[in-house]
Amino acid sequence: MENFPILAIMTLFMGAFINSLVGRRSHKARVAVVFTTMAISLLLVVSMVPAVMFRGEIITYWMGGWAPEAGWAYGIGLEVDALSLFFGLIVTIAVMVSGTYSFTYMKRDDSQVNFYTLFLMLAGSVLGLVLSGDLFNIFVMVEIMTFTAVALTAFRNDTEGALEGAFKYLVVGSLGSVSILTGTILIYGCLHTLNLAQIADLAIHTRNPVMVVAFGFLFVGFCTKAFMFPFQPLAADAHAVAPASISMMISGVLTKCGVYGMIRLVYVLFQNIGQTHVQYLVTGMGCLTMFICVTMAFNQHNFKRLLAFHSISQVGYVITAIGLGTAVGLGAGLYHAINHTLFKGLLFLVAGAVQHQTGTLDLDELGGLSKKMPKTTLLFLIGAASISGIPPFNGFASKWMIYQSIFSKAVNTGNIFFLLVCIVALLTSVLTLASFVKVAQSVFFGQCAVLCRDAEECEKGMRIPMWVLAILCVVLGLFPDQFGELFLKPAAGAAMGADVYAAAMLSGKAVTSMPAIYGYIGTWSPIVWIVLLLIVTAGMTIFSVSAPIRKPEALGEGEVEDEHVLPENAKYEPFFSGEESVHSHVTGSDLFWGFKENWKKYFSFWHDWHSGIVNDYELYGVVFLAAALIYCILFI
Amino acid sequence: MIGFIQSVLNILLLPGLAFTLIASILLAGIDRVLVARMQRRVGPPVLQPLYDVLKCLGKETIVPRKANEKVFLLAPAVGLISVLVTAMFLPIGNVSAIRTNADMIVILYLLTLASVTLIVGSAASGSPFAGVGLSREMVAMISYELPLVMVMLTVGFVCGNGLATFSLAKIGAYQAANGPLLLNPVLWPAAIALLFVIPCEVGQQPFDIDEAETEICEGVLAEYSGKPLAQFKMMHNVKMYVMSGLFCALFLNIQTGFFLADILIYCVSCVLVTFVSMSVPHAVTARFRVEQVFKFYWTVVTGCAALSLILVWIGL
Repeated sequence: MENFPILAIMTLFMGAFINSLVGRRSHKARVAVVFTTMAISLLLVVSMVPAVMFRGEIITYWMGGWAPEAGWAYGIGLEVDALSLFFGLIVTIAVMVSGTYSFTYMKRDDSQVNFYTLFLMLAGSVLGLVLSGDLFNIFVMVEIMTFTAVALTAFRNDTEGALEGAFKYLVVGSLGSVSILTGTILIYGCLHTLNLAQIADLAIHTRNPVMVVAFGFLFVGFCTKAFMFPFQPLAADAHAVAPASISMMISGVLTKCGVYGMIRLVYVLFQNIGQTHVQYLVTGMGCLTMFICVTMAFNQHNFKRLLAFHSISQVGYVITAIGLGTAVGLGAGLYHAINHTLFKGLLFLVAGAVQHQTGTLDLDELGGLSKKMPKTTLLFLIGAASISGIPPFNGFASKWMIYQSIFSKAVNTGNIFFLLVCIVALLTSVLTLASFVKVAQSVFFGQCAVLCRDAEECEKGMRIPMWVLAILCVVLGLFPDQFGELFLKPAAGAAMGADVYAAAMLSGKAVTSMPAIYGYIGTWSPIVWIVLLLIVTAGMTIFSVSAPIRKPEALGEGEVEDEHVLPENAKYEPFFSGEESVHSHVTGSDLFWGFKENWKKYFSFWHDWHSGIVNDYELYGVVFLAAALIYCILFI
Repeated sequence: MIGFIQSVLNILLLPGLAFTLIASILLAGIDRVLVARMQRRVGPPVLQPLYDVLKCLGKETIVPRKANEKVFLLAPAVGLISVLVTAMFLPIGNVSAIRTNADMIVILYLLTLASVTLIVGSAASGSPFAGVGLSREMVAMISYELPLVMVMLTVGFVCGNGLATFSLAKIGAYQAANGPLLLNPVLWPAAIALLFVIPCEVGQQPFDIDEAETEICEGVLAEYSGKPLAQFKMMHNVKMYVMSGLFCALFLNIQTGFFLADILIYCVSCVLVTFVSMSVPHAVTARFRVEQVFKFYWTVVTGCAALSLILVWIGL
């Protein structure tokens, strides 16, 4: 059992190596190697679940047998507690789905062997990051992760903007890596150790300015990796050009590394989440991120850019909940983190399917796909309903937990800051819904756009991974109690019990205690509601379908829909003289005029702010780093 | 067993399904009569909404060629159900069909779901008028959601004894002990905000920007006919009742101890709320423009709601 963590990581790296050896031969060989490695790694991680999650054990492994001596950890250790394993599960599941999807999705690309090699290295580094028990090891994994992700972003380097997006990611992402490295160095200088458990043990007694600065550096570093504000433009540029399965990895897995790092940092390493100012810092950044990104998403014309901003916005929710410092908040944040991976992955894969079948992602050029790709449309609707927090999908359950945790925090502390956060969170939810209405209208419903006339349903190899995610979305939404009991509670308990984490690593086995993280979610029993809704829906459907329905007459031989082709602005004709049947599809940019009109100044400010110039983005990053350091020195 | 039968009766008859259907038809009819009288017209009979729905039910359903048939037909059914389920949470006195510890959030979400079905259904119809209509409906939703949330937080805060509550039963209990919340002057701005939210949520003039017959041919409903249209019409009526009932539950929950008296008071106050919040503005104003609605809600109405919230927060 104690070898499992290292084996799970090694398998992925070995898979990358073997793939580059034999993958050149044939597609089948590649698929076999990649699939096997992903499956083995998933199995290894899953097989640790009973011990770690249900029995509260902590698995430790010392590389090369360098066990600690005289209370000092010299060697590199892996330490898997419930929190690590929770993220390990997220990572391996996402890798499995994304890899399987790639088999079909990447078929048309060349040099696929490089793709899968990089992909497996990315997967291995992320898994290594979350299972690692060593701060410097985390930095190494962050570096591998960033570089493979950059290479994969630019993988379709014939696409416009691919190299540019990757370059921005590389340059600004390195700011994050440097921050993490600096923080690591400062901590090593102060405490003479790099082992997470030992740092957790010592840092709580060591309160000096250097440690505070180290905290600031690490905080900014993990913010960068989670693409928090002001780093969100990177994500948008990278997502827009990356292959869909890589977008899923970046949003579902790489940002989770930032989240994981943040949790480790404030709950375990420094254990300073109890301080109000740390809560302000983390929650405030999360809140800012979720609101700014959701409004940015509002105005996007590119399907995947829109999803990218939403992805960051949802990570903002996660960080907000984590920053509350309560067990309920942490549980809610973890719940939303896994849900985010599921629904956002699903939406990115849907976007990939749309791009694969139509060749574009422009919301103003797409339209009417629901008749051409009905199954993909259904999948999209499930994903959109989940992210918008519509019951009974998983987004509802976790967002609801988040609201409750924020609100109870506001009430318990009597602090109006948290009340504002709660209102912003609810507002963000509405805006999220609005942008998915926009996508639904402009891509899937409405009239069939010229580009989409010949589109076909995507292949099964792409639909099956999407269905896996969609089903998980529904299942996690229907059984929040059970999921919370089995997974969230141990994971939150592990994060809250830093002393247990330290003891397990330094002096052998220890068992995580599990706090009662919530008396809240039990009040919502989705199953009852589902039954009720299903019964009534069934009745109403029978009622509505049994009515006489006049279906449209089939088009005659040689007839084409909307043969009037289309001078510019023809689509506005029906509103002036609605007699002739011209093609008139209300596209993405036509929607929500009243809202955009009132927020003109706000939107134009952010429009200018996202200048697309890498110097500017780097500057924002540096300013943010400086501000965060000053804040830390002044208040923490 | 008796408890089970009672809860089934509560869900099906009173204050559940049957009561909701009757009350919403009557309320919508009374609203139309009141508006007509204020405009010096004779107006339709009180049961006109019922006749409208019945007539639509007898008509043929036409699915446009550009529509996605399944979504187009399913959306109205889901919408109607979600508002009907919302109505189950509304208490009459201290009796409600379904209660949870977080009624208000469930209500908030189910009302959102109802609007979403309207949006998705109209998107599925493929008509450009519906496209513009859904855009406007969404803007309206963004407009009223913020003040609505703030009003709910405020009321939950007052009734929670230091801990906020989202349970309508607890809010009812608080009002039974301390008198209706409408008597509390600190909450008057919140009540006014909610009165403004009601017509926008229901889609009554002057906030019916999403239907706007004269501009975009009924917008979201442009392509609907027959039974789906009947379902959407009924959804509109039920929404009207739900929003009035929500106001009564939050601000005017008067409990006498006699259930019949409670029902009577509830009905009268629902009619009053409808009159004040929907009939009067409908009769005396013309339709707002889209951006005016947004601006109005995010400044005046949100301002009212925020005022109450702040006053309650600092402990007045």
